Amino acid sequence: MQLLTLLAVMGPGLIAGLSDDDPAGITTYSVLGARFGYQLLWVLVVSTVALVLFQDLGARIGVVTGQGIIGLVRQRYGARSAGVAIVALVLANAGTTTAEFAGTAAAAELFGISRYVAVPVAAVVVCVLVLHGQFKGVQRIFLVLSAGFAAYIIAGVLAHPDWLAAARGSVVPSMPVTRDAIVIATATLGTTLAPWGLAFIQSYAVDKQLTTKDLPYLRIDVVTGAILTGVIGFFVVVACAATLHPLGIHINDAAQAAQALEPLAGHLAAKLFAIGLVGAAMLAASILPLSTSYAVADLTGRPAALDDPIRDAPLFYATFVLITAIGAGLVLIPGIPLIPVLVLTQVLNAILLLPILAFMYGLSRDRSLMGPYRATRTAAGSYLVTIVLITLCIAALGIASIR
Amino acid sequence: MSVVGLEGVPARNPDGSTVGRVLDVVARWGAGVYPPVSGLVVRVGQRRVFVHAEQVRELASTLVVLASAQVDLHDVVRRPGEVLLRQDIVDHQLVDVDGARVVRAADLYLTSVSGGYRLVGVDVGVRTFFRRLGPARWRRRVMPGRVIDWADIASFSPPDAPVRLRSSHARLRELRPGELAELLSDLGRAERHQLLTALPPETSADVLEEMGPRQVSDLLRDAPRVEAADLVARMEPDEAVEALRNLDADDRAEILRVLASEPAAELIGLLEYSKREAGGVMTTRLVRLHASDVVADARAALRDARTHASDIDAVVVLDDHGRLLGDVPLLDLLVAAESVPVRELIGPPWPSTVPPHAPLDQVIRKLIGNRRSSLLVVDDDGQPLGRILADDILDTIVEDRDRRWPWQ
Repeated sequence: MQLLTLLAVMGPGLIAGLSDDDPAGITTYSVLGARFGYQLLWVLVVSTVALVLFQDLGARIGVVTGQGIIGLVRQRYGARSAGVAIVALVLANAGTTTAEFAGTAAAAELFGISRYVAVPVAAVVVCVLVLHGQFKGVQRIFLVLSAGFAAYIIAGVLAHPDWLAAARGSVVPSMPVTRDAIVIATATLGTTLAPWGLAFIQSYAVDKQLTTKDLPYLRIDVVTGAILTGVIGFFVVVACAATLHPLGIHINDAAQAAQALEPLAGHLAAKLFAIGLVGAAMLAASILPLSTSYAVADLTGRPAALDDPIRDAPLFYATFVLITAIGAGLVLIPGIPLIPVLVLTQVLNAILLLPILAFMYGLSRDRSLMGPYRATRTAAGSYLVTIVLITLCIAALGIASIR
Repeated sequence: MSVVGLEGVPARNPDGSTVGRVLDVVARWGAGVYPPVSGLVVRVGQRRVFVHAEQVRELASTLVVLASAQVDLHDVVRRPGEVLLRQDIVDHQLVDVDGARVVRAADLYLTSVSGGYRLVGVDVGVRTFFRRLGPARWRRRVMPGRVIDWADIASFSPPDAPVRLRSSHARLRELRPGELAELLSDLGRAERHQLLTALPPETSADVLEEMGPRQVSDLLRDAPRVEAADLVARMEPDEAVEALRNLDADDRAEILRVLASEPAAELIGLLEYSKREAGGVMTTRLVRLHASDVVADARAALRDARTHASDIDAVVVLDDHGRLLGDVPLLDLLVAAESVPVRELIGPPWPSTVPPHAPLDQVIRKLIGNRRSSLLVVDDDGQPLGRILADDILDTIVEDRDRRWPWQ
C-alpha cells in the first residue's frame, strides 16, 4: 500500500458517504436521539455496515464496468426497468434537493440571514462550482465542505453525554415496538443508504477514471467515508440524547435541534450544530443534482464527465441546472406546503432503494460484466441479508403507517 | 420495421394457429455493411426456438407467418458471427462513427432488401426510449426519432460471445486520435478494450498517446501481454516509458519480457531515470547525421522519420566517435542547397545540452536561455542520448500547476 496512491484515489467514498449526512439525515439522527435517547444507536451501526457494503459494491461496479448504474440497468434489465428507475430517481432527487435547500434556509435563518438571500446564493454557488470547475477543483471543494462535519463531533462532546450508555446503545439491540420507533429506525436506514448516493458513487468512480488497480485503495476510501458518516451520525444522536431526551423536548428538524441545544449545551455547541448543517446542506445540494446528471447522461449512452465542456455535454449540465433550480425554487415560493413534498420524497427514496439494491446485487453476480471481480458467494450473501433486512423495515413501516 | 416492436408478436402457422411469440431477431455479422437477418428466436411453450429466415413467409410489425406448419424445434445456439439484436445490441453502447460519439441504441430498424431483411438503422432518440416504457401498442408504433445509418455504426460483441464481432470500421481510422481517445474514455471497460483491439496498431498507439497516463496503464494491464507489448513498441519512447512507469512492477516486467530485446533494452534504460529529471522526459527519437553527410542525406533521413514529426525539430550532427558537434534546425536544412555538407550548417550558437540526471528546473532554465524549441541530453562522453522538446516540459509544468497539494 502506498500512501500517495491512496490519497490520489480518495474522494468517491468520502464524498458519497458524508453527503448522506445531509440535513434530512441530521434531522433524523436528532429526532432519534431526542426521542429515544441512546437506545436506538445500534440502528445507526447497522446502517453504517449496510452503507459500507453497498457503497463499496457501487464503486467496484463503476470501476470494473466503466459505466454508471442506470446505463447498466438499461443494458442488462431492459428499457422498462431503466426508464422507471430514472423517472423515480429524477423525481426523488428533485425532492431531496428541495430538502437540502430547505436545510440551507433553516440553517441560514439560525444566523439571522433571510432564506431569500441564502438560498439563491447557495444555488448560484453550487452551479458555478460544478459548471465552471474542473474535476480536481470540484472534488477539493467537496472535501473542504465535508470538513464542516467536524462541528458535530465537537458539539457532541460539548453536550457531555453518558458515554457508557451510548456504548451500550450502540452494541445492544433493543427495540420498542411502537410506530414511532419503527418509523425512525427505517428513516435512519433510508437516510444513510440513499439511492442517489449509490448512483453517485458509481458514476463518480467512473468519472474519476479509477482503474481496477485502484480497487484496494478505493475500498479504504469507501470504508473510511462510510464509518465517518456513521461517526458523525453518532455524535448528532449523542448530542441530542444527552440534552433534549432527558427533558422530553420534541423536535421536528435539525434547525430546531440546534435552537433547543443552546440553553442546554451552550452557545458554542448550538452554533457548531448550525455550522455543520450549512456545510451538510451545501455538500448534498451539490451532490444531488450531480448524481441526477450522471444518471441522465448515462441513460442516453455516454457517461458524462465533470471535465467535459458544456458544449459537449448539454444534457448533463442542463439536468444539473434544472434540478438545482427546482430544489431552490420550491423552497422560495411563499406558502408552498414543503412538508408533503419532503415526506413524499422520503417515501419515493425508500421505494426506489429496494430495486436499486436488487439491481446492484444482480450486476455484482454477472459474470460477463464483472469477470474476475464478480462478487463471491460470501459477499453476495451479505448483500442479500442487507436487502432482506431493509425490505423487512420498509414492510414494517408500511404496516405501521396503515394501522 | 422495429426490432423492439417485434418482441412479443405472435408467430403463426399458415393455417392461422399461433405457434409462439417472437423473442428476438438474429442477424449475421460480417456479410456486408448491413447485416442480414438470419432468423428469429421464438418462444414455443417453455422453449426458446430458432426459426431460420427461410422458414418465415411473412414478417410484419404485428404478425409473423411461418412458411410451413413444420418448425424444427431446435434450441437456440448462438453460432459464430450471429448476434441477438434485442439482447446484444438494443440498449447497449455503440459508436456513432460519423458523429464520433458513444450512443445507446433505443431501437433497431430492419428493411426488406431483395428478398431478405437487413439491419439498416439504429434509433438513439430519447423519445423512442420512453415510448418503450408504455404498452406493447406504443412499442410497435414506429416513430423514428434520431436515426443513424447502420453504415455509420461500430458495434461490440457481448463479452461471452463465441466470436468477436467486427467492430473495426474502416471509417474509425479516419477519426483523429484525439476523437478516438475521447470515444474510448466514454465507453465501458469491455467495449473500450474491443475498440482498441479493432484499431490498426499504429493508430491505437497514437490514440494511447492522447489519453491520460493512468488510463493507458489500465488498458495495457487489461490487454493480452503480446498486444500490450505491441502497443508499447509502437508508442513514442517517452510516452511508452510514462505508461510503463504507472504499471505494477510485475506487469511492467512481463510486458518488457514479451517485447523484442532491442526496444525493451531501450525502455529499461529510460525507466531508470526519474520523472523529475532530464532523462525522464526526453525522447530518444533522434535523427543523427555524420558531419560529412550532405543536406540531401539529411532530407532523406527526415523522410524516413516523418511519422515521428512531433518529436523532431532539428537533426543532430555527430563526429567520427558519435560525439555531438551541432544541432541543425529544420529551417536551416530547408533553405540550404542539397549538396552542402551539414558540417557547414553548424556553428554558433552552439546547442545547449544537459546531462541525463539534470533536474527539471535546470532543463527549463537552459531551454529558456537557448531560445529554441528543444535541447539535447548528452552523456559524459558527449554522445547525444535524446531530445527534450518544449512541449514535453509544458506537460510537466501543467501537471505541476494542477497539483496544489503535495500528494496529488
